[in-house]
Amino acid sequence: MTLRTMLMAATIVVALASVGVFSVRGRAIWTVLRRTRPVVRWDRIGERLLSVGTQVFGHRRMVRIPLSGILHYFIFSGFVVLLLDIVGTIGQVFRPGFGIGPWLSLAVDVWVALVLVGVLMAVYNRAVLRPARFHGSDERDAYMILVLIAIIVVGIVVHESFYPVVAASFFHVADPSLKSEFLGNGLYHVWQNLGWTTPTAGLVGYTVGYLMDIGVVFAFLAYLPYSKHFHILLAVPNIFFRNLRPIGELVESPPDETMAIRSFDDMRWKDVLDLFTCTECGRCQDVCPAYAAGQPLSPKMVILDLRDRLVSDWGRSEADAPPLAGGAVSREALWACTTCGACQQACPVFIEHVPKIAGLRAALLEDGDVDPAAQKVLVAWERQGNSFGQPARKRPEWAKGLEFPIRDARKEPVDWLWFVGDFAALDPRAREMTPVVGELLHRAGVDFGILYEAEVNSGNDALRIGEYGLFETLAQKNLKVLEKATFQRVFTTDPHSLNALKNEYRKFGFDKPVFHYTEAFLALIQEGRLPVSPVPIRATYHDPCYLGRWNHITEAPRELLRVLGVDLREMPRHGEQSFCCGAGGGRIWMDESGIVERPANQRIREALALPGITHFVVACPKDVSMFHAAATALGVDDRLRVTDVTELLAAAVGLRATPLPAAMAMGASE
Amino acid sequence: MRIAVLVKDVPDLVEELELDESGRGLAVDDLSYVPSEWDDQALEEALLLKEASGAHVSAVALDTGDVDNMLYTALAKGADRAVKLVGDYDRTLPGRQRARILADYLAGAGYDLVMTGVQAVDDLDGQIAGLLGGMLGWPHASVVRDVAVDSGAVRFVQEYAGGRMAEFRSSTPLVLGVQAAKKPPRYVPIARIRQVSRSAALEEVEAGGSPSESLAAIERLYRPEAQGHATMWDGDAEQVAAALVALLDEQHLRS
Ligand SMILES: Cc1cc2nc3c(=O)[nH]c(=O)nc-3n(C[C@H](O)[C@H](O)[C@H](O)COP(=O)(O)OP(=O)(O)OC[C@H]3O[C@@H](n4cnc5c(N)ncnc54)[C@H](O)[C@@H]3O)c2cc1C
Ligand code: SF4
Ligand code: SF4
Repeated sequence: MTLRTMLMAATIVVALASVGVFSVRGRAIWTVLRRTRPVVRWDRIGERLLSVGTQVFGHRRMVRIPLSGILHYFIFSGFVVLLLDIVGTIGQVFRPGFGIGPWLSLAVDVWVALVLVGVLMAVYNRAVLRPARFHGSDERDAYMILVLIAIIVVGIVVHESFYPVVAASFFHVADPSLKSEFLGNGLYHVWQNLGWTTPTAGLVGYTVGYLMDIGVVFAFLAYLPYSKHFHILLAVPNIFFRNLRPIGELVESPPDETMAIRSFDDMRWKDVLDLFTCTECGRCQDVCPAYAAGQPLSPKMVILDLRDRLVSDWGRSEADAPPLAGGAVSREALWACTTCGACQQACPVFIEHVPKIAGLRAALLEDGDVDPAAQKVLVAWERQGNSFGQPARKRPEWAKGLEFPIRDARKEPVDWLWFVGDFAALDPRAREMTPVVGELLHRAGVDFGILYEAEVNSGNDALRIGEYGLFETLAQKNLKVLEKATFQRVFTTDPHSLNALKNEYRKFGFDKPVFHYTEAFLALIQEGRLPVSPVPIRATYHDPCYLGRWNHITEAPRELLRVLGVDLREMPRHGEQSFCCGAGGGRIWMDESGIVERPANQRIREALALPGITHFVVACPKDVSMFHAAATALGVDDRLRVTDVTELLAAAVGLRATPLPAAMAMGASE
Repeated sequence: MRIAVLVKDVPDLVEELELDESGRGLAVDDLSYVPSEWDDQALEEALLLKEASGAHVSAVALDTGDVDNMLYTALAKGADRAVKLVGDYDRTLPGRQRARILADYLAGAGYDLVMTGVQAVDDLDGQIAGLLGGMLGWPHASVVRDVAVDSGAVRFVQEYAGGRMAEFRSSTPLVLGVQAAKKPPRYVPIARIRQVSRSAALEEVEAGGSPSESLAAIERLYRPEAQGHATMWDGDAEQVAAALVALLDEQHLRS
């Protein structure tokens, strides 16, 4: 048997074996996928291709962590080049004389070097830097893959280096050695010096190099679907099938019976694809406020635990197997989520954690497993329509002290319909600002009205607790009055209400434009309807999750602060990468045991690290209450003033004095 | 063990209560009604019994108004059957008459254990369990908790003054007024209630008109009258705290 016949036989055997092993798992996954719930992810092909371009070939999210982004780019691009090598190498054996030409061969060698650098950087990252985000990931698997990659690229150089030795004797072609294969050539000179250019040495050397390359490539292929490295194949489709609808919409269309996820059949196919695409990179864990607070939730582990559970029985659980919600993922983990969406925003392969968490919560809720305090709120929403358990007639009471009547949008047409929201209407602290918002609108000559006691909670949080039915009940109550009222746009100070009205009510046909007060007041000032004088303070601004991340409204509040003359300093985590206050997803009402340090306190400390900051500006009524509590708890409320945008607006138009932290206020009065 | 849990709805105390023109009752038009919280406790205790040792649980309500949703909720939580006693009556039906209608139904319905909430906010009598026991001639105990089934008999606990407890064991049939369940009443998602209301039917039992019972009549209903000894401090938490500190200082109670 000649070398060629032997290598051809070996190639065919390993290729078949590899495809066989691969398809065993591939089929199993396919079977699960076919039983899942439908979701349309084939639309808007152009945009989808574009995001594959920017996220896969542009590594847009990957480079947010520069070292990892660069090393990954080296290795990732190496895979593209590796395909050339596979064609060249197998071609060489099957058709003597075949080659991919000097330029592509040069590219292969350049990338061999880059991949090796990438692998070394990865080892350095994992072994020396050891970022916390890897905690809980499968380290053995990660190293295994790095070793396989290293073997493959070294194998490329090894068989290249012996090719000149075997070309004439075994392939019967003239020595085609390409100068451009600089690594192979270099090594060939080493063999020459060592005297390893005999036909036997060539035969052994080439065979070893070939198997290190092609043999390991096929072994790698077989291993892929059993490892986190499946993402090499799945990342592209997973990014292609990403959610292009408004991301603030948790549930696309009313579920048939329930949104609960009890088995993998209850997931959408994209959710299952997500599980196998996870790279275990831990970027989601790194940004998770619940994880940072010391709670037993890591979005990465939610994905991995679900994946591990799926491959343990392929969704064919025995009746007495532990449930997904409260079994595969603990109830404590599920109820710890603030639904802030930071995990989804950080994930380089666009995995959607929040719909899975909400679906699992819905399963817990159906079994009556919900935090008692949150349960009280659910009951209050159902009975009184607000989380405070206050009678509906208390809702518009904040408007009583105003010198002008606020129009009743149920009875007369208005231009702007102000959806007030529970907190702005009923929370003792947040409520102080609400009449001021009214005064500002009045002063700007806006024709606005409210729904008085007919407004109920928007249902945004109920949905995120997993209570779809209650969300729908609340939404229908609001829609009943909204549909009868005449107005041009909705105005609100509350990002949670904004999210529901803008994104979640669409499935019931509501399509009026919805504006946050930061956007609306910016426009009023720019139109000259609200003259302002500067408020010269140095402040930082906290992006509410439901405004910034879920609705991409990050620029308007900043522009508004600039227009007000505020010296704005950014915290390291800002804009869509903001850090949650800890209140979302119903967390504001839930038990805090297990929390080592509240996210809101961590956030205040992040602000305090900025030099000379006197104001912590918020744009959400819940944030007013969360961060006041945090600043007080940390004992810094005398030097850092938690301020709603409204207070700054009131100062800028001369309605109120500029709010100052106690320390400064004393200084000012002395 | 066949268990009947008696449930009713009561005015939601969150709403402002107004007296009606006669001054002997509440102005019912403006009221919203919620399930009596102690009935929720009784139902929860019954469902926990079912889960622990197997039982057939029926929720029973007098049709004094919109009780359907309350019964569907009981079914959604895990009750096996919901019975609505229909007849010509409304929410003003006095407890004694309610007890008579319930007793007439329960007498022949084959239950081993009847559980009621210990009391309801609309009268605070806590009498239904006792009245039923008397009318049916069954053993009765009220203000009980920790109900358990023990080889055909029922065990339960009553709490006495001074932190003492009494453990009872009774044969069946038996009437218990339940103070609290072992766990807080469970939540049931609204979608589940809707689903049950589409798929399950309430069992309607004709219960006739209001029975004649000798009743104590309410002469006058009124708000607690201030005796002039209390001073109420208005204002927010800080103002109230300041007033309290001032008072403590005035009385030399602060060192
Ligand atoms: C619905 C309900 C709610 C309650 N809520 C509370 C609460 O919130 N807080 C609290 O502390 N307690 C509460 N209690 C308990 C209650 O305050 C006392 O325990 C109760 O009033 C005492 O009556 P009894 O039925 O336990 O005693 P019983 O033994 O029935 O005594 C009642 C009366 O009968 C007469 N009597 C009984 N035996 C004799 C005798 N041998 N000789 C002469 N006269 C006799 C006496 O006049 C006696 O006062 C509640 C009770 C009920 C039923
Ligand atoms: S949504 Fe926020 S809290 Fe929930 S898992 Fe993701 S990062 Fe953590
Ligand atoms: S879910 Fe995304 S961000 Fe989280 S570990 Fe997996 S790939 Fe990384």
